[in-house]
Amino acid sequence: MKLNYKIWMLALLLLAGAQASKGQGVFKLPKYDKFKLSNGLTVYLMEQKEVPLIQASIVFDAGAVHDGNKPGLANFTAQALLFGTKTMTKTQIEQQTDFVGASLSSAAALEYARVGLSFAKKDQDKMLAILKEVLTHPAFNAKEFEKSKKRKLLRLDQIKESPRNVIGTYYNKLLYGNHPYGNPVAGTKEGVNAITLDNIKAFYKKQYTCDKAAIAIVGDFDRRKMKATIKKLLKGWKTKKATSKALVKPDMSYSKSRVLLVDKDDANETTFYIGGQGVARSNPDLVAVQVVNTILGGRFTSWLNDALRVNSGLTYGARSNFVTSKLSGSFYIYSFTKTETAIQAIDMAIGVLDSLHTTGVNKEILESAKNYVKGSFPTRYERNSNLAALLTSMFVYGYNESFINNFTKNVDNLTVAKVKQVIAKYFPKKNLQFVLVGKASAIRDKVKKYGKVTEKKITSQGF
Amino acid sequence: MKKILWLSCLLLFALLAQAQTKVEDVKTLTLKNGMKVIVLEDHSIPNANMYLFWKVGSRNERPGITGLSHFFEHMMFNGAKKYGPKMFDRVMEANGGSNNAYTTEDVTVYTDWFPSSSIEVMFDLEADRIGALNISSKMLESERGVVLSERSTGLENSNFQSLQAQLKSTAFFAHAYRWPVIGYESDIKQWTKKDLEDYFKTYYAPNNCVVVIVGDVTLAQVKKLSAKYFEPIPGNTPPAKVRTVEPPQNGEKRVVVHKKISSPNVALAYHVPSTSSQDYYALDMLSSILSSGNSSRLRKSLIFDQQVASAIFTYMPQSFDPNLFYLYGVAARNITPEKLEAAMLAEIEKIQEKGVTDFELQKTKNQKLMGFYQQMETINGKANSIGTYELFFGSYTKLFNAPKLYENVTKEDIQRVAKKYFIKTNRTVGYLLSPEKKGKSK
Repeated sequence: MKLNYKIWMLALLLLAGAQASKGQGVFKLPKYDKFKLSNGLTVYLMEQKEVPLIQASIVFDAGAVHDGNKPGLANFTAQALLFGTKTMTKTQIEQQTDFVGASLSSAAALEYARVGLSFAKKDQDKMLAILKEVLTHPAFNAKEFEKSKKRKLLRLDQIKESPRNVIGTYYNKLLYGNHPYGNPVAGTKEGVNAITLDNIKAFYKKQYTCDKAAIAIVGDFDRRKMKATIKKLLKGWKTKKATSKALVKPDMSYSKSRVLLVDKDDANETTFYIGGQGVARSNPDLVAVQVVNTILGGRFTSWLNDALRVNSGLTYGARSNFVTSKLSGSFYIYSFTKTETAIQAIDMAIGVLDSLHTTGVNKEILESAKNYVKGSFPTRYERNSNLAALLTSMFVYGYNESFINNFTKNVDNLTVAKVKQVIAKYFPKKNLQFVLVGKASAIRDKVKKYGKVTEKKITSQGF
Repeated sequence: MKKILWLSCLLLFALLAQAQTKVEDVKTLTLKNGMKVIVLEDHSIPNANMYLFWKVGSRNERPGITGLSHFFEHMMFNGAKKYGPKMFDRVMEANGGSNNAYTTEDVTVYTDWFPSSSIEVMFDLEADRIGALNISSKMLESERGVVLSERSTGLENSNFQSLQAQLKSTAFFAHAYRWPVIGYESDIKQWTKKDLEDYFKTYYAPNNCVVVIVGDVTLAQVKKLSAKYFEPIPGNTPPAKVRTVEPPQNGEKRVVVHKKISSPNVALAYHVPSTSSQDYYALDMLSSILSSGNSSRLRKSLIFDQQVASAIFTYMPQSFDPNLFYLYGVAARNITPEKLEAAMLAEIEKIQEKGVTDFELQKTKNQKLMGFYQQMETINGKANSIGTYELFFGSYTKLFNAPKLYENVTKEDIQRVAKKYFIKTNRTVGYLLSPEKKGKSK
């Protein structure tokens, strides 16, 4: 492949987008209904009739930030919704879902848990009935719980076979420390081992509350009819009131550079993250930050990829990214290279970040980046699932379609002077934080120059 | 069962009638140089794409230049006559476009995505590199490093890749499918500028390419731009056919690869016919019955009931020549590879002896129909599917027929292909195991 599609799409997906109405440059989110049921559940309905498919996406305030002292609890609970209900076994749910070619999934992220369901229009009644059962009457079957736990414990070993799979988790832990934003969503072996079925039942009761949940349904249906259907289906669902306290804002001011060296003694490559504090989802300069990041590490011709890949052939890819959360966010540069060239590549990445501050961005490159982010905008929201994810993200992070509808305008309005401020304010410059995964014995001494080194074996528990 | 089938056919046609894209919406042009251009207008978003399917992949290579098709894919971005090194990507991105490319055993595919207002720039960029690629020695050397890194990071992060490379080389005795698409490390380090130039002359003539354009464009516009940019590029004699035919495998083969891992991985690979074969649809449905969804045979039995596996998938690449059907399992903790292998084989034997159920047959047909709509949900899905069907199934029209062709498959067909191909003498078994501890040897 020319480049690893997944890696790049991850960076691009962060840019929220919209379906374009006809006519160049005018981006409008398609019309949708938003209303609340009497139990507090927020509902979004959007018609999309290109194909006879429907997507439903439901979010709860049940993310890994609520794990407490049991890392992995939120994700385990989300997955346990599919272990059977009062009227159906896990196997029955899977057989019925698979039979109509539908797919049903459930997982936690850091700040929410999401249940997703996609199905053909003709199977609407059947699939919505299953969805209701799963959401409202999960049985948390003990046998399925034990079996799943065994698989999870093995999985937590398996993910460490791939540095790319786990480096982000180490990085979050380094940046956020004991703040819940540092929680590993998949958990730790110690944490998962300690989780009981009662923990899961209690977590479900406490966090899966209608007053902090939203369902978005996008696809081939009539909005008025769907409104009636959803009201009838879910209005009787009564849950407790939300009781979780708001998190405190994490402290991300680092007084010194730190290096976490994760030793994988059979590694041929060094995989690295370099960065620091980013921005929150609600930051008014988010669009500007994303446009600047496009130049630094958000596209193929970005400075990082140009230096580390195109000019020097050190790596298959280098990029940078902002991960936004409710209260804060992180920024990182990511790449990998063979052990022998690790220092050369890391030095080069730091040099590129430095050049953003010292040289800055000129008008020509800014125009190119603007065209780039605008040009790919409509394709981000072609699928029903993209739109459903957008609507639920608006709910979780508290923004609305003005972010979408004004996106082009906000991009167009960016000036070189504004970009200069944005770089100085939001792109880390000193006291950088490093995670390096690789053969420690080969680079241990050389990486001391980056900051205070802490070393962990990749096979040690946790992150 | 007739009645249920009949009902589902009715449903199928009712659904198809609703789909917005119909086969007659797709138009084709054949340029004087032999290049085929397929166009589908879709004005749902102000964007379009251009997919270029080149009929060259690792099957066209030989020892010494293994991986060259893939490397060539990279070099196509590194400078031509009008747009020098780096300019292809810079001009494309400055015009709101982006791109990617991939290489398989059979084809090399370039994908350009852009706001429809930039369509002429895309034609200009593509015509420049197709007509007048200019391979610079400096770019060749840095790109060599990039591909070595791509190879290394694949092996570092994927157990499947680590095992598959050796599995293929064991299963294939003669055919060029025996080496990995990315090539051998030693070949990557040594191929020359001349190798690349010869490759370009041989395989990158317009008559060896199918172009697919889908999106907010008009047929008239594409006609005009194709005539202006693509038609003047001269055609060439078609490249020589791949001669080697893999002889029948007369006996099971086995291979072991070592890598530090948490539990053994087991792969079974059976020789199967090419995608154009009559048996393709039955084999593809068999693949779904084995591993698509938690209710599938292998996932349900091996992961959830017997708990001998932690992950399972099956894979049958679309392929010009006869290729492999892979079954891949990752053992649960403390399960030996022998035990996992036996459990995988037992599921195959069950299908060979008792066949599949009506429920499974209908489920798979429903899944295939859903898959079809999911492909048709985006302009990129449409372009990729149209090109894939044109190359591997003989015509893009088969894409629109696909739900019906799956609908025609019977339980007997599935049992027949399971019996015909999943036999011991036709299989290669691969184990990926942690390195043996010192002092312990057999």
